[in-house]
Amino acid sequence: MEQFFQVLLSGLATGSIYALAAIGFTLIWQAAQTVNFAQGEFVMLPAFFLLAGMHFLGMPFWMALIFGLLLAVFVLGFLFKRVLVDPLLKHGGLSLIIATMALAILMKESVKEFYSAEAQPFPEIVPNGSWDISGVIVSLTDISHLFISAVIVIGLQLFLNRTRTGRCMQATAQNPGVAEILGVNVKRMVLYTFLINGVLAALASFLITPVYLAKFSNGEYLGLIAFIAAIVGGFNQIRGALAGGLLIGVLDNMTATYITAEYRQAVPLLLLIAVILFRPQGLLGTSEGREA
Amino acid sequence: MSNKVMSVSNVSKRYGAIQAVDDVSFDVYEGEILGLIGPNGSGKSTLFNCLLGQTRPDNGSVEINGHNASGLSPSKLNKLGIGRTFQQLSVFPEMTVLDNIILAGQEHHGSMFSRLFGAPDAGLTPEADRLIAFFRLEHLRDEMAGSLSYGQQKLLDAAMAFMAGPSIVMLDEPAGGVNLTMLGNFKERLRTFNKEHGTTFVVIEHNMEFVMSLCTRVLVLANGAIIAEGTPDEIMNNQMVIDAYLGG
Repeated sequence: MEQFFQVLLSGLATGSIYALAAIGFTLIWQAAQTVNFAQGEFVMLPAFFLLAGMHFLGMPFWMALIFGLLLAVFVLGFLFKRVLVDPLLKHGGLSLIIATMALAILMKESVKEFYSAEAQPFPEIVPNGSWDISGVIVSLTDISHLFISAVIVIGLQLFLNRTRTGRCMQATAQNPGVAEILGVNVKRMVLYTFLINGVLAALASFLITPVYLAKFSNGEYLGLIAFIAAIVGGFNQIRGALAGGLLIGVLDNMTATYITAEYRQAVPLLLLIAVILFRPQGLLGTSEGREA
Repeated sequence: MSNKVMSVSNVSKRYGAIQAVDDVSFDVYEGEILGLIGPNGSGKSTLFNCLLGQTRPDNGSVEINGHNASGLSPSKLNKLGIGRTFQQLSVFPEMTVLDNIILAGQEHHGSMFSRLFGAPDAGLTPEADRLIAFFRLEHLRDEMAGSLSYGQQKLLDAAMAFMAGPSIVMLDEPAGGVNLTMLGNFKERLRTFNKEHGTTFVVIEHNMEFVMSLCTRVLVLANGAIIAEGTPDEIMNNQMVIDAYLGG
């Protein structure tokens, strides 16, 4: 039983980081009705911004962290929207989806070329160590990851539901035409969404990279897992992406511990197939799209 | 006659070979309920879209409350005091009835700071509650708008149009798809609001009974041009109107 709780907690901690990336999928979908297939690389890149700040600019860790966060918000939020999304969105979501696939390759290869193809050690931003609670060994890192992710998600929900700007962002996601007529600055709300996605990607990057080490290819797995999490939970709902991330994190850990470590990566895919077959809107999502 | 609140001068719009709106001019007076009717294809929807900034006319101008409103975006018109309802349902389905109504008024208030850190309802809950009560939606106040019936959503749409305190409300086919009981209630609410607040209404509608029993003046469009103007009684007995509707 002790082992079960340890595995559960560890799964929730990892899943909460997947959820941050998955929520990014949901936000971009709500704002631009498109899928960002570079989302995994969005999580990979900020870690390298931080490392570049430390190694090339000589910054101390915490300054490099802030530098990495701000640069990620600018590049992955502002520049991504202005340079890629705005010009392509008028040609339809499909053009943009293909462009994000190309962007993913560009980001990956650029990091490999200009930084290194080798995995880089990455400092842990939360404390190491463990607690023994009635025989259950609780990792401080896991607790910290879970706590930080929870604060971010709760903060995001409070912002969206309890501020006027947040409500305008929701209105923009639900009915942009009417929101605009009512005086909502729709373009600004969409920009805020992209900036928030930049923040989420950077924070997910800083939390997950100590586990995987900083590697140009990190985005491949993270992007896939976050995409599956968003679909499983419900692509059009933040709470769905959150639930999907946590579920996959726990399932992954449980499978590796109790069934097989060799085929653990197959489990999210099986779950994805099951959800698409039996509940295509996701566990907590709502139906949308064409009617028969 | 009362003051002019809207003046439409020589508005035209052509789509290829079709002259959808042909040199239309008319005035709207403060406190009246003006009906805009016409058979299918008469150009009333195109004209309405020209007035609401959703279609740019080829010629002509629109003046609202003394301001040149030609070419203004729908959001600018909203800030000029034009409220509107929509032909298609246009609520925010995953927000409550209360939040929908607050949202319809909040962008007229406050600074960027207050948008981020001020009261989330912008202090508009009492006003929103008054409108909810006026449209008899109290029992649905905290329900998600998407869960309301079609007619209830139409009432919500109207409440949203009134939230910003408009001087003119443009109603785009308000009777479409609404059952008779709900329609009677809606008509009575509009009439009361008009009497109590002096708000001007411009109504585009297919439902002749609705228009004739609500409006104080009616304009009839056929082939993009105004063919008749008068009180509902005058319009119902106008031979040109009868011919236009019956294809005579």
